[in-house]
Amino acid sequence: MSEHTPGNHNQSAQGAGAGTMKPGFHNTDGQGIAGHGSFFQATDLSREDAVKATDWVRKHVDRRTIDLGDRMDDVREHMYELEKDGQIIIHRIGDQHEPVGVKTLFGWDKQIPTKQLWHHKSCGQCGNIPGYPTSLLWFMNKFGFVPGKDYLDETDQTSCTAWNYHGSGIGNVESLAAVFLRNFHQAYVAGKQHGHELGHFFPLVHCGTSFGNYKEIRKYLVESAELREKVTKILGKLGRLVDGKLVIPEEIIHYSEWVHVMRDRIASELQTIDVSNIRTTAHVACHYYKMVHEDAIYDPDVLGGNRTAIITSTAKALGAQVIDYSTWYDCCGFGFRHIISEREFTRSFTMDRKIKVVREEANADVLLANDTGCVTTMDKNQWIGKAHEQDFQVPIMAEVQFAALACGADPFKIVQLQWHASPCEDLVEKMGISWSEAKKNFQAYLKEVEAGNIEYLYNPELAYGGKA
Amino acid sequence: MATYAEMQQIFDDIRGDFRYDHELNGCLNCGICTATCPSAQFYDYSPREIVQLLWTENVEQIYDAMQEKIWACAQCMTCAARCPFKNSPGGLVAIMREVAIKHEMQSAKDVLRPFGRVMLKLITTGNQLSPDMIQPDHFPDWGPNIQKVEGDLRVLRKAIPVKTLQTVETAWEVSLKTSVEMYTIWEMTGVLKSLELMDENLFDVIEDFIDEKREDYEDWLEEQEEEDDD
Repeated sequence: MSEHTPGNHNQSAQGAGAGTMKPGFHNTDGQGIAGHGSFFQATDLSREDAVKATDWVRKHVDRRTIDLGDRMDDVREHMYELEKDGQIIIHRIGDQHEPVGVKTLFGWDKQIPTKQLWHHKSCGQCGNIPGYPTSLLWFMNKFGFVPGKDYLDETDQTSCTAWNYHGSGIGNVESLAAVFLRNFHQAYVAGKQHGHELGHFFPLVHCGTSFGNYKEIRKYLVESAELREKVTKILGKLGRLVDGKLVIPEEIIHYSEWVHVMRDRIASELQTIDVSNIRTTAHVACHYYKMVHEDAIYDPDVLGGNRTAIITSTAKALGAQVIDYSTWYDCCGFGFRHIISEREFTRSFTMDRKIKVVREEANADVLLANDTGCVTTMDKNQWIGKAHEQDFQVPIMAEVQFAALACGADPFKIVQLQWHASPCEDLVEKMGISWSEAKKNFQAYLKEVEAGNIEYLYNPELAYGGKA
Repeated sequence: MATYAEMQQIFDDIRGDFRYDHELNGCLNCGICTATCPSAQFYDYSPREIVQLLWTENVEQIYDAMQEKIWACAQCMTCAARCPFKNSPGGLVAIMREVAIKHEMQSAKDVLRPFGRVMLKLITTGNQLSPDMIQPDHFPDWGPNIQKVEGDLRVLRKAIPVKTLQTVETAWEVSLKTSVEMYTIWEMTGVLKSLELMDENLFDVIEDFIDEKREDYEDWLEEQEEEDDD
């Protein structure tokens, strides 16, 4: 380490002692390190140098703005090289997927397939907030998509396992990579049993953490030959190689990116309810745009390109009011392990930094999100606020659920708001939909369900490999 | 208390992870990571401190931080998105947690005990949570009305118009073949071994479950073969 190494700036500071630390870090009594707690010492920079250092930090930190000049390494270029070298197969997005082009953080191009999609489901959405996937499939049906041809939802999919990994540390890059490749191999071959070519269906990832995790793992796979070698053995044992090679998707696509590129069609072809009186706020999942952030969608016409365009773009397209709030960038407080076993943190953070703020600052009618943990955290932790004199309540749902409501979807049968704890009925009523009428109809439908008369968005046999 | 040599080994395992050089590139001590960190607002935790400890190779205090502090991180990765050096303090914490488990640190065992039911669900079913886990008796602080229509959970789930979601004990229906593939991944990547180090009782329960599922799968395969022969 040289004396110019960043982080070593206290080397010559007054009071720096030898202690037991490595040279260069003051440590007067064998405890603490440079820059911590009571051991902190000013850098003694001149005002000019301090301004220079601060400007440098500002320049490098403000990466929320589209920065065409600061291009970093694009993993996709390395993927194409590996494919050319015969090492991997890339699951490509073709014309048949009817892709729409978007720009990501640094102005790179990303293709979002809009058809022939393999639904990669989310544990939290399916288990707790099923209105996410049902609203999404409902939209696909509304656009005339043919189940089994234009999309597929099946039982041959596991969790990405990343919630567990981020919560517990049990798991490793190898296991996460093997799961990623297993699921995406299934997406690649799933069309065969329905009479289609390999690669017919392209994976559409519903969960924000799966999305972030898979992108991170894809990077590691492309960069590390050792990791590829290890997981090739596992995928080989599972029978999930193609011509002896790993299959890696050209892009990782999040469901909210599909909603983003379909937003104008949703508004122009399907919208039936005027939502111009609705004050919307947005909470974008951290793992959507803070992990592998160069891949998140940004649009100069949405929030000036200063924040990811997801969610807000859809609210705008529907004609709703978009209201800003000061803690937009904050996490929801989910914490993976925290929501299970350190809930005082989760509920305190979500109330202090999200619910209270969108209620008081933005006077929001709804807080729209695009991930599982965020909706669960913000939706379920409002009631307990009363115990701390923080009686703030805001309806919480995904942007796809809000869009479905605006397009006339049933609040219960399709949008599945019965699973939410926050006051979604207030929003529904403000949109001009009778909550009590919809609830009465749903309760009558439950009797039909008990009698075995169940309505489906697609033929259930499809989930097991059968025909549509 | 670990010996210095043990602490050094723990640090060597952390920096031996191939991600280490991705996640740690330098540190200006600017503190932007900590300023934006949700956990720093509620715990004695600072991502800047974690980065500094690793950057300065302070093996004793790294060991100390692994007792409790690393478990405060919410893994939101806001720190990684903001760091001017492109460090990922959250990513470093993930590596440290893995190493804490590998070294069977008691603090890791204590912290993870309440998380056991998620691991049980995940490893045995391939789903991380299920509708029957999200019931009022599990989450009293979510209030008495955590959903808006009362009724039998099975019926309410049947009212979801997507076949794969009409489940109670898993978030969606996972085929037996898929689960068995998952078990192979757990075994071949050392995940079951990690689990055994952390919680032997939980491991025993899971091992029995896996054996049973594999037998079910073998029986199913035999049935398929017989049907094909017919």
